[in-house]
Amino acid sequence: MGLNRRSFIKYASLAAAGNAAALRPFGALNALAQGASSYKALVCVFLFGGNDANNTLIQFDTAGYNNYSTIRGPLAIPQSQLLQLSALPNFALNPNLPDIQTLFDNKNAAFVANVGTLIEPTTKAQFKAGTDLPTNLFSHPDQQLEWQNASASGSTSTGWAGRIADTLNASYNPGASVPMITSVAGDTLFCNGSASTPVSVSPGNLSGAQCSEGTTECNAQKATAQALLSFDSGLTLVQADNSITSNAYNYAQTLTAATQSVTPLMTVFPANNALAAQLKQIAQIIQVRAALGVTRQIFFCGIGNFDTHADQLALQNALLASISPALAAFYAATVEMGVQNSVTTFTMSDFSRTFQPNSNTGSDHAWGSHHIVIGGAVNGGQMYGTFPTLALNGPDDSGTNGRWVPSTGSVQYAATLASWFGVSTAQMPSIFPNIGSFSTANLGFV
Amino acid sequence: MATRIGLRFSRNCLRLVCGLLGVGVLGLAGCGGSGQNGPPITQPQVTVSGGAQVRLGSTAQFTATVTGETSSAVTWQVNGVNGGSAAVGTISAAGLYTPPVTIPAANPVSITAVSVAAPTLTGSANELIWNPLPAVTSAVVSQNYGATSGLLTVMGTGFVSGSQVQAAGTSQTTTFVSATQLQATVPLGTGVATVSVDVVNPDPGGTTSTVASAQVQTSLESASRLLDQATFGPTLTDIAHVQTVGLQGYLNEQFAMTPTLEPDIATPPPALCATNTIPCQQAEWWQAALTAPDQLRQRVAFAMSEMFVISTNSDNARAVTTYQNTLVNDAFGNFYTMMKDVTLSPGMGAYLNMLNSAKPGTIGGVLQIANENYGREFMQLFTTGIDMLNQDGSPQLDSNGNPIPVYTETQVQAFARVYTGWTYATASGGIPANFPNNTPNYDAPMAAVESQHDMNSKTLLNGTTLPAGQSSSQDLTGALTNIFNHTNVGPFVCRQLIQHLVTSNPSPAYVSRIAAVFANDGSVQAVRGNLQAVVQAILLDPEARAGDANPSPSDGHLREPLLYMTDVMRGLGFTFTGGGAGTGAEYYNSPGNYTTALGEKPYTSGAVFNFFPPNYVIPGTTTNAPEFGIENTAAAILRLTLADNLVYNRITDFSVDLSATSALGMTASATGNATTDSTNLVNALSNIFMHGQMPAQMQTDIVNHVATLTNIPERVRVATYLVITSSLYKIEH
Repeated sequence: MGLNRRSFIKYASLAAAGNAAALRPFGALNALAQGASSYKALVCVFLFGGNDANNTLIQFDTAGYNNYSTIRGPLAIPQSQLLQLSALPNFALNPNLPDIQTLFDNKNAAFVANVGTLIEPTTKAQFKAGTDLPTNLFSHPDQQLEWQNASASGSTSTGWAGRIADTLNASYNPGASVPMITSVAGDTLFCNGSASTPVSVSPGNLSGAQCSEGTTECNAQKATAQALLSFDSGLTLVQADNSITSNAYNYAQTLTAATQSVTPLMTVFPANNALAAQLKQIAQIIQVRAALGVTRQIFFCGIGNFDTHADQLALQNALLASISPALAAFYAATVEMGVQNSVTTFTMSDFSRTFQPNSNTGSDHAWGSHHIVIGGAVNGGQMYGTFPTLALNGPDDSGTNGRWVPSTGSVQYAATLASWFGVSTAQMPSIFPNIGSFSTANLGFV
Repeated sequence: MATRIGLRFSRNCLRLVCGLLGVGVLGLAGCGGSGQNGPPITQPQVTVSGGAQVRLGSTAQFTATVTGETSSAVTWQVNGVNGGSAAVGTISAAGLYTPPVTIPAANPVSITAVSVAAPTLTGSANELIWNPLPAVTSAVVSQNYGATSGLLTVMGTGFVSGSQVQAAGTSQTTTFVSATQLQATVPLGTGVATVSVDVVNPDPGGTTSTVASAQVQTSLESASRLLDQATFGPTLTDIAHVQTVGLQGYLNEQFAMTPTLEPDIATPPPALCATNTIPCQQAEWWQAALTAPDQLRQRVAFAMSEMFVISTNSDNARAVTTYQNTLVNDAFGNFYTMMKDVTLSPGMGAYLNMLNSAKPGTIGGVLQIANENYGREFMQLFTTGIDMLNQDGSPQLDSNGNPIPVYTETQVQAFARVYTGWTYATASGGIPANFPNNTPNYDAPMAAVESQHDMNSKTLLNGTTLPAGQSSSQDLTGALTNIFNHTNVGPFVCRQLIQHLVTSNPSPAYVSRIAAVFANDGSVQAVRGNLQAVVQAILLDPEARAGDANPSPSDGHLREPLLYMTDVMRGLGFTFTGGGAGTGAEYYNSPGNYTTALGEKPYTSGAVFNFFPPNYVIPGTTTNAPEFGIENTAAAILRLTLADNLVYNRITDFSVDLSATSALGMTASATGNATTDSTNLVNALSNIFMHGQMPAQMQTDIVNHVATLTNIPERVRVATYLVITSSLYKIEH
């Protein structure tokens, strides 16, 4: 925690360069937006179901490991299998995350410890008193939405990426042929703004709609089909679907043309890996960013089944074993494109899981979690935030089962990423209404 | 003759004068050419005879008698025009007069015979044109469900624009469609099955037809919309059937039908699923959806499967087959029964980990809690939801305006302890000696091993306490009863059922009416949780039926990919043609290969939250529309591809006939007039897919497009494609 030196220096140097425009927000944006090197992308990897962070990042020193092993019992991973972090030797990773270990030790990845949904900094005592807490803690849908909208409840209609797009799109992506946000995992609240909606892409299916009639008739048929979308039926849902489908025709045409014009990336992504397929699609779109006319992009992808109430070891291990090479391949693709310093990838998840096991070799819904941030711009090889005291009914336990009260708000995590992306201090409160309740809006990890 | 017509100018002159002099003047001397060549012995004349009136639609024969001339030949005129005209009627050379289509402005007309020998010699008769005799050949009243009037269509002959339909002896405001069809909106009392109908034609010649009996039948709009809501897609056969038996009649038939159950997957499994049994389970699902006669039961079970979600992603396909049959069996039973059967099913047990959930405590030296998964999600997702609800589904708020939670984390733990001790039953359905029992029995309800059941007391909802020392079954009954009687269950479950069957945005009043039926089915026993009564109330509610007449802005819901697929396949009449066709060993699994890309395949939800969440809000709006959770710019494109595959007959193992000799193909080519045929084709598609309610502009656009296509199969394909890719179709409303 604390203000990060490197990002502070970045801003200071901009002002010191004598760029008077830097003192005015819009001038600063325009200055940043110029030049090919100014491209930036955020990539959200959502781990649906609540990844058990307790078995992702594990204390490795003797006392720490013994504490872990004693409480976790059947869920504890043998110390000999853990992947010790040379840059942070008191901690180790789940044995299925070797690529993350490499990225971390090469300082291209960081961990942010015990992040969770919060309205304001919250202590165990405040949790017990029940004041100003997120809505419906421990509920999957609610906590997914609250991570995505960085708000006090899941009922708001915009996500934080969507609000960034609302704020920055006109400055950074004037004349772009696609929205700032692309989802390769369907629509989520994260992507929705009040003025902007994402383009959704089905991985590997960029080529537009199939048509089996002759070329002439296909064009004519398409024109009539589009014309049918254009008249006002007076029915709310029909109009909504008209809008989605009209956009779909336009985006498919744009993306198809752009991606067919480039040589495919050389980077090999793992096969039969859902997340890898999504990340590969994202890389292909980043590759054609110039043709799309974008200098800022946010991507959403994700996989599920992290809700490991039973058989956790086998289930979580398999999931982590699939995301590790997928994230590594994606990072390699950004290196291939020379944009590794312009692309920052980060994880989000519903919540972590109880440190205490349940009687079904699983764990249950909890709260504060540890998250991974990857990219050349990341101040890697470090852990940010405060690692919790892993004691049942201890100072960080909201109850008695090891559901950690977060020491860092998910909104701070999001705001740090947003700041790197180009959101100014002045713009922060409109995108993250609660950010002023926290001591800092920039955790410094990127 | 030559001498008489020698003066050409005078002939013309004379004809004009005769015409102007008009009717009924026989043997006019001034025109007759008298005074030439000496006095005649008799005055030459032409006499016209025939009836004084003729009815539209029939003919009148005239004869002319010529005296005093060498030739008796005449030519005929109507109102002075040789041979007559369309406006005044025509007359043949033989004097057969055919009246015009409608009565002319000037009535009667004049029929004139002109002597051929002496063209100035004419004779005329007045002919009064009467309306035809109306005759009714058939009549039918089409009535929207619950309406107090219906549209009477009378087919017959002799109808004119002033014809008046009488229903039960009372004149009705009548629309003249054609000489063979009249329509009128007629009032209908409750339960009226027939209406006596006759037709009165006005003067001149006014008459009344004989009385016919018009059968009152359900409108195509009501019948087809109900089928869209209650089945996996209307077919023309089913629509006609519902029009005959009525909505209530159809529901009664469906409620009484024997459930179509899916057979157990054979052991060893057939070749299709020798290494993976999931395709066999999916094949059975598609077969039932596409072909089972108990469509309503199957559709309700499908809705339930999207509320009580399990998935082959982590469940054995055999357990899913058993589970599907549980939902089918319980679809019209009591909700408590469904709660209990779902809870004890091995499929749900494995999916949400009630299976093998041991009592909490210190195990192997490690303190462990009870698995909370089922305890939490059974309430949150299946029965009560998170927040306290009013009967109309709106949230109850505390004095600060905040929602009120239904349960606490402590209560989740209490329910988690209730659900401990259950594992697979033995092969014979009994209690196993071991816990967990690692020999799966996917067919029988789970069995409890009492030593693994938490026997401490549990404090449940509303302060209800289960005492210490109860058995697994006693605790389960206590917990399910506790939840079943919670006031949230009616509005929570009924609102979602309405969303699945009828509309994404039911009004609070609609939810409240159905929740009231859930609370009390109105029978003498005042049963709570009667699903048959709930389903009937949902489908026959005025809000569900209002769209039979006119859609309201908030109507309808997006056809999710599975229902889109079944609706098009049933509507177009796809038949199974894959291996084993007709042998009873058909495997209908392939349609799922086409819906997967769109985010759905039967029983493969990625999580217990279903393919889409019930509270999903369309981005940029405040509109709740669950199915839009998987509708986005990617899915929209993929659905276009699916539509292309459907109309191009590319569904593996299935076939559809859209050729020139198919029903649609013949409609599309019947007259050879491209516009007429295209209009009839598009109307037929509207009847199949849009309850006959396609907006005029859409109809015009599609007709204009496909009328340019001369290849009939292509005309059919493209018209179908344009209908099924339109948002007006995709949104079932």
